[in-house]
Amino acid sequence: MSNKCQCVDKPPNGLIVLALIIRGEKSEEALKRRNGTANTMATSVPSLAIPGQRLGSANTYAAGPGTHIQQTNIFASIAGPVILDPAQPNTQSKATLRVTRILSTAAQSSPAAAFAKSKPRYNTLPAVDSIVLARVTRVQKRQAAVSILVVLDETSAPNADLTKAASDNDNIASILTSAANPENHSSTDELRFQAIIRKEDVRAVEKDRVVMEDMFRVGDIVRGCVLSLGDQTSYYLTTARNDLGVVMARSEAGNMMFPVSWKEMRDPVTGAGEQRKVARPY
Amino acid sequence: MSNQRQASSASQTPHLSPAELSYLYTSLSLPKSPIRPDGRSPTQFRPLTAESNILPGTNGSARIGFADGTQAIVGVKAEVEKTVLSTDTLASSEGGEGEDSTSTSNSAAASGHGSWVQMSIEIPGFRDDDALPVFLSEMMRESLVGSVADGGSDGGGDGGGDGDVTMAGGLKGRLVINKRWHWRLYIDVLLLSQPLSYPLPLLSLTTHLALLSTKLPKLKSQGEEDPFFDDDWEVAEYLYPRSSNLKAAGNASQYVRPPVTLLVVSVGENIIFDPSREEIAVADAVLAISVTRDTEAGNLKLLSIRTVDPPSRLTQPAVPNSENVNMLGATAPTEDIAVLNPATGEEEVPGVWRPRRGGVKRSVIANMVKTVLKKGGVGEEVLEGLEGVEVE
Amino acid sequence: MNDRRRVNGPPGGTRPPVYASLLQSGTGADTRAQRQRQPTDLRKIFLKTGLIPSASGSSYLEFEPSASLAAARSNPKSLIPPSSALKLACTVHGPKPLPRSAPFSPNLVLTTHVKYAPFAARKRKGHVRDSSERDLGVHLETALRGAIIAERWPKSGLDITVTILEAEDDRWWGDVPDSHDASWGMMNVLAGCISAASAAIADAHIDCLDLVSGGVAALVSDDSTDSPSALPKLMLDTDPAEHRSIVSACVVAYMPARDEITELWLKGDSSKVSTADGDQRSGHEALIDGAVDAARGAHTVLAEAVRESLQKTLGQS
Repeated sequence: MSNKCQCVDKPPNGLIVLALIIRGEKSEEALKRRNGTANTMATSVPSLAIPGQRLGSANTYAAGPGTHIQQTNIFASIAGPVILDPAQPNTQSKATLRVTRILSTAAQSSPAAAFAKSKPRYNTLPAVDSIVLARVTRVQKRQAAVSILVVLDETSAPNADLTKAASDNDNIASILTSAANPENHSSTDELRFQAIIRKEDVRAVEKDRVVMEDMFRVGDIVRGCVLSLGDQTSYYLTTARNDLGVVMARSEAGNMMFPVSWKEMRDPVTGAGEQRKVARPY
Repeated sequence: MSNQRQASSASQTPHLSPAELSYLYTSLSLPKSPIRPDGRSPTQFRPLTAESNILPGTNGSARIGFADGTQAIVGVKAEVEKTVLSTDTLASSEGGEGEDSTSTSNSAAASGHGSWVQMSIEIPGFRDDDALPVFLSEMMRESLVGSVADGGSDGGGDGGGDGDVTMAGGLKGRLVINKRWHWRLYIDVLLLSQPLSYPLPLLSLTTHLALLSTKLPKLKSQGEEDPFFDDDWEVAEYLYPRSSNLKAAGNASQYVRPPVTLLVVSVGENIIFDPSREEIAVADAVLAISVTRDTEAGNLKLLSIRTVDPPSRLTQPAVPNSENVNMLGATAPTEDIAVLNPATGEEEVPGVWRPRRGGVKRSVIANMVKTVLKKGGVGEEVLEGLEGVEVE
Repeated sequence: MNDRRRVNGPPGGTRPPVYASLLQSGTGADTRAQRQRQPTDLRKIFLKTGLIPSASGSSYLEFEPSASLAAARSNPKSLIPPSSALKLACTVHGPKPLPRSAPFSPNLVLTTHVKYAPFAARKRKGHVRDSSERDLGVHLETALRGAIIAERWPKSGLDITVTILEAEDDRWWGDVPDSHDASWGMMNVLAGCISAASAAIADAHIDCLDLVSGGVAALVSDDSTDSPSALPKLMLDTDPAEHRSIVSACVVAYMPARDEITELWLKGDSSKVSTADGDQRSGHEALIDGAVDAARGAHTVLAEAVRESLQKTLGQS
């Protein structure tokens, strides 16, 4: 008990203790003063923002992800570093202010051009055209049900080394290894977004001859692309591209397999081959 | 499950399209003269039929039916319960006479206790522990037990043991029989069909009527005796004393009325009372304001304010033509010009619905409360209207 | 409000003990803690985010114990603490998929749970949420829903859970359990819940308009020595244990950047208030303004805590 009290009096590192005294100032005046100070700083954009912090005027900048507009001013809506994307030189658009939720220093320095050509992302949810990694949970005649493990960041998706991809899901490697482990199956599926790969979305050629059992097995890790937000329960994924399909799978014997062709993987121990819709390895 | 999840926000998402929402909002937010879908004026209530004293097995009851077919029945039952002895009473009993002076005003035996009023609301389609019934009953109960008529210096002195017909201690004080016994009041509210709109006005008006008609049997025992009562219903006393029954006609407490909770919404600059389901769906802010009549001047007194989550926050946004792929080339791109909505401070394309976000300005709240409380305002009008019902 | 899964004992069968010292000294007025702060002074707040690694956002909030409570804890004389200090933890889980049965929602669906630990208050709380806890949950939901930008997170849900470890009591422990029975302590708890949940949501990087913060103000008539006609005084951040009689109280959830209130809960008789000369505000307006001032104070702590945890995360990576 008494220890607890002490910690308020003598804060160790990182603890915030503030004494607050409010002198009954009229709130409108206070607000006016706030806005006044904000206006004088209009030229400089803060480097770090917290929700509700004014970043700049909507006349000067365009509002990007992580911000919102209120009374012709841009305010931050999440906490994070503020990034100013310069306007495209040949268009008349304004420079875009955004607050990123990517907190690693590597991601901050990522070129703005890469951002500009992709659609701005307002959240970390799967969106149309995002590349996701998902685990197969059920294979049926007409479709396979998967649960989405990771939404890959578009800026880092072409990056061959998955472990370097910086996003909210900071440690993809550990997520994948734990997801590929049979012991972890089904326990956390409730918390993941569910998706469906329909038979006709598995591959681009010979769609009518697809046999779902020869494409996916329960437990496989699949790289897919989101087709649509789908219905109330599931997203719709497609694997109909060379770089999409199964990336990790175990054989019937339970060993990790390696890909040998676009439709076969092989067990290194038993040597037996199994059929899959295999993604092109980088 | 899904239904209840939505309802847990104390509001129900209406099934209206963004275009309908936008149309409703525009007509309701017309400056000074909102156009309501049913043609009412902003302060006008929906027509209703009401009767009281309909259940013979209760101490008081009422039924109100709205024109849309939703009905509520309220039954009030009073039962005698032994008061749990407090430290004050213990102290005075130990020390013989005891100095029983100012401290009694704090004790439950003198001024009553809020838990003596029990309220349960039954709404079809909801479990009794769902958020909506719990929120509604807490809201109505807190204004009931909070309606102490006269500041802090109530109930002092002799502990109100003689059953005098005053409301000095508010409803709580009225429930005290003597130091060891009190009435426990059960208010059971029954909604007969699934609510078509936010059920608060219906429930509150019905409860008010039922409490007005509630009678407590006349006490025949004296002082600190175990209580027993007269079985003659004719001499039973009203829980909320009425002027016609009072011998001392000049008594100020004739004005004491049960509280009424009003549902008020703001749309744009306008303040609208008794909103229908469609109107509440586009409201910028929803307040439940409880008022009662003050003892002294006959003015209205504010008892409580609660914000209710406006369902407009859960609605589906519309897509302006400029962003709609289907409309590409169909309209000139210059048609969609975002303008600043003064009520929300957000840039909006006129006619394109956006779900509300953010809160409500203090000036708007002050305005809403003023409209209820002011002399000749909506609050008085409602209380007068209800008075007309009980005369019959 | 029935627990449908377990067989419970009869509710309300027990009562906290009555202490002899209180019987001797009447209501124990001499041992009661008095408010040491000025009417506009707020208690210090301790707030830290990101303490629970398994949650996507979390925060811990603590109110500074009053001077008398700190003294009583270091040198306990009586079983009756002079007051209590709020301690609560908040976790945010999500955004996560909605349950299969839920209909499509274009917006983020909030669910709030407020639960007192069984040992949080003087009277033990059961493990099943009672009506006051559910009521608090609805208040909290209203307060937060106005602050978040729900349309940025379609088809997903956010669970916010607040566990109250030590609650602000409705009255001094030494008082009769039934005296001034309105649940004033609940309002302080709600204000704490709002600030803590707001910090946890910012920690989870969910878009919101502003850091919404909670504040409490009350009209208090304490002075038994004064004439009974003395008008109640406005005080900010009231601790119910320090006051003999709270006439009315108000809690708001407030966003300073927009000067908007997302949640307002006012109850009690606010018709009489002793205001400064020339103050034209009516009682309820003064109460709301007072609560907003208290919320403004909490907001500075909130902003500092969020900024600090942000800087810490950036420094680590």
